[in-house]
Amino acid sequence: MVALDDPPAVAHRSSPTRGRRRSPVTWLRRGGLTTLVFFLPLLLSFAYFSWWPILRSLVLSLQQTNFIVTEWVGLANFERVLADPLLMTAVWNTTYFTLLAVAIGFPVPILLAVLIAEMRRTRGFASVLAYLPVIIPPVVSVLLWKTFYRPDEAGLFNTILGWFGLGPLPWLNDPDLVIPAIVVQATWASFGTAVIIYLATLMTIRTELYEAAEIDGASILRRFWHVTLPQMRGILLIMLLLQLIGTFQVFTEPYIMTGGGPENRSMTLLLLIYRYAFVSGDYGRATALSLLLALALSLLSAIYLWATRRWSTS
Amino acid sequence: MRRRTRRAAPVALLGVAAMILSACSGGGSGDDPTGGDAPDTDAPVTISVGGKPTTENPEQLADFERRLDEFTADHPNITVEAEETQWEADTFQALLAGGTMPTVMQVPFTEIGALIERQQVADITDQIEGSEVLQHLNPTVMDVVTDDSDRIFGVPIAAYTMGLLYNRALFEQAGLDPDAPPQTWDEVRAAAQAIDEATDAQGFGTMTLDNTGGWILTTTSYAFGSTLQSDDGATATIDNPATTEVLEFYRSLRWEDDSMGSNFLLNYDDAVNAFASGQMGMFVQGADNYSNMVVNRGMDPQDFGVAPLPQTDDGLGTLGGGTISIVNPTATPEEIAAGLEWIEFRSFEQFTDEEVAVANAEAAAADGLAVGAPGLPVVNAELNDQYLAWIAPAINVPRENFELYLGTVEDIPLIPEPPVKAQELYASLDPVVQAVLTREDADIDQLLTDAQSTVQAALDAG
Repeated sequence: MVALDDPPAVAHRSSPTRGRRRSPVTWLRRGGLTTLVFFLPLLLSFAYFSWWPILRSLVLSLQQTNFIVTEWVGLANFERVLADPLLMTAVWNTTYFTLLAVAIGFPVPILLAVLIAEMRRTRGFASVLAYLPVIIPPVVSVLLWKTFYRPDEAGLFNTILGWFGLGPLPWLNDPDLVIPAIVVQATWASFGTAVIIYLATLMTIRTELYEAAEIDGASILRRFWHVTLPQMRGILLIMLLLQLIGTFQVFTEPYIMTGGGPENRSMTLLLLIYRYAFVSGDYGRATALSLLLALALSLLSAIYLWATRRWSTS
Repeated sequence: MRRRTRRAAPVALLGVAAMILSACSGGGSGDDPTGGDAPDTDAPVTISVGGKPTTENPEQLADFERRLDEFTADHPNITVEAEETQWEADTFQALLAGGTMPTVMQVPFTEIGALIERQQVADITDQIEGSEVLQHLNPTVMDVVTDDSDRIFGVPIAAYTMGLLYNRALFEQAGLDPDAPPQTWDEVRAAAQAIDEATDAQGFGTMTLDNTGGWILTTTSYAFGSTLQSDDGATATIDNPATTEVLEFYRSLRWEDDSMGSNFLLNYDDAVNAFASGQMGMFVQGADNYSNMVVNRGMDPQDFGVAPLPQTDDGLGTLGGGTISIVNPTATPEEIAAGLEWIEFRSFEQFTDEEVAVANAEAAAADGLAVGAPGLPVVNAELNDQYLAWIAPAINVPRENFELYLGTVEDIPLIPEPPVKAQELYASLDPVVQAVLTREDADIDQLLTDAQSTVQAALDAG
């Protein structure tokens, strides 16, 4: 959150002997009260809608409740989560989805952004085209793709395969195809946002760098490798982390397209949490798994940030 | 949820009748039991009731409000606050948590067991004994809302049995007689093949998602001769020969005859839409789906067919379903009593009052709703026949198409849902059904063994 006192860099510059001790009076004179009043609505809404539910879920994970009677059960919910044979299935499916989604969904927007940046006249039009899928409400786009993936000859993709004498493929009905099929849909639905962000970054790269590289006789590929990528490094690292965290929480696509099937091959962690909570009415177990997931993602982020700190641009 | 023997039901009814008689012998009016700690039914009380029709159905809403006004005139001490709250699996818990569950709302049969287990529904035994409702209820249906200790947790207001739904038009196109639906599973298989060959539709289908795969597998297992849990709910019996047979039946239709279409990830809506639009010839489903198919989804009334669920020689019967009115678990005895007054007035007065019956039926028919759709009577046969006679002129459903079903609906035993953790049992069977339909090499025995140990572990965990 925002720190109200001076940033440490400034504090270091003023020596402690000369600097006045802060008192409520100086705080008031400097307009502290106004700051607080402006800050309060934000603080309260965060507290009520975000921090308080987080605290409640911490408590809930240690309880067994039917919302009429509540009892403390210690770590029993966590034990039950870890004992569920579906947990490993969900972990594996989610990991597989994430790896595949990042392998496909990370490079695609970068390349597209570079291509669009190269356009002169049609740049605006191309960005709009790239961003269009994002405008479609997620549920609508998932349902749309569900019909594309129809397993009979009438399905859109099977019709296309039919032109080449292939198929029909069962798509979502196939235990091995289901996750890749969902990844393609999810990538299509979300790459537009990344393209726009990368495009904005590309626009900030100084043209002198490219000119210098061109004078040195660098090819397009080398210019991309030695100028574009290093200049985008910071944003790439952040986007990769955000994508990792985002794809790990995949829910809408399997929930609508497959319900976790066939044979739990698209059962993801969030879908499992949903089923604990809203199918079995077992909120203790659902919050326990949610917390475990949050913990895993925090760890992942920490490790990622530590591993990539030397590449960061600062 | 316990299966009582058929002899016990009349005895229980006699007992209740005796209690009501003794309560009435106090000289008060029939709905005013003068027991020691009976709730004061004349004190002012406010209840909220769910299930108010939405503004999209103005005629139903007008009808509801008309009945509400009548109720308030009859019961000046009861204030009813109507709301549109409907049962949804993922919002019900939130209603409870937030304390906004109405005093009275409706839930499907499939949920009541779990609600009783989780104590999320009021025990209405004491209040219902002073009500006329119970005298008229069909005892097999009452079993669904009764626990092992004979405590009652709801009032069934509509019921059906699971049956074989079939599309009469597709039957004709395939050269089959729509008035002679399949009565054995071999006949079902033959009809499925005929439909698949002669039409663009798939012959047979089954749902597989959101626990419906397990639900239908359980129902069909009953018809093949086995339940999936011991009567006390302590032991899972999933890996039984009957269930294996059902899955073998699925496998034959899927892999040998190829008469089950190509999409095997079907939830309730997918399957119902496929059937209503003529893409699916037959499937196992609640026999009360006439209105859903015809009124909501535009199926031709003459195309809708329903047959009793075929039974093998060992068949035990079929599963029942329907709608139950429940009372909020935090309700006071006075609120429960008032809630029951409302339930009785709203759902049962038509069986005892000809004027109400005719007015309701005519209003429904005028709104293009189905009147006289097949179902399982929640009241005894005598009352039900009388009711049907009253509303005969308003009936707009081709009941002659359902003769076989209507003639046998009372004869096929009604087997309740698995008594403990039914939804978890269904959830663990969904993947089993999906496996058989999507993998030719699926090992049925292994799948059932795995599901058995999963469900047994859940039962042992309590």
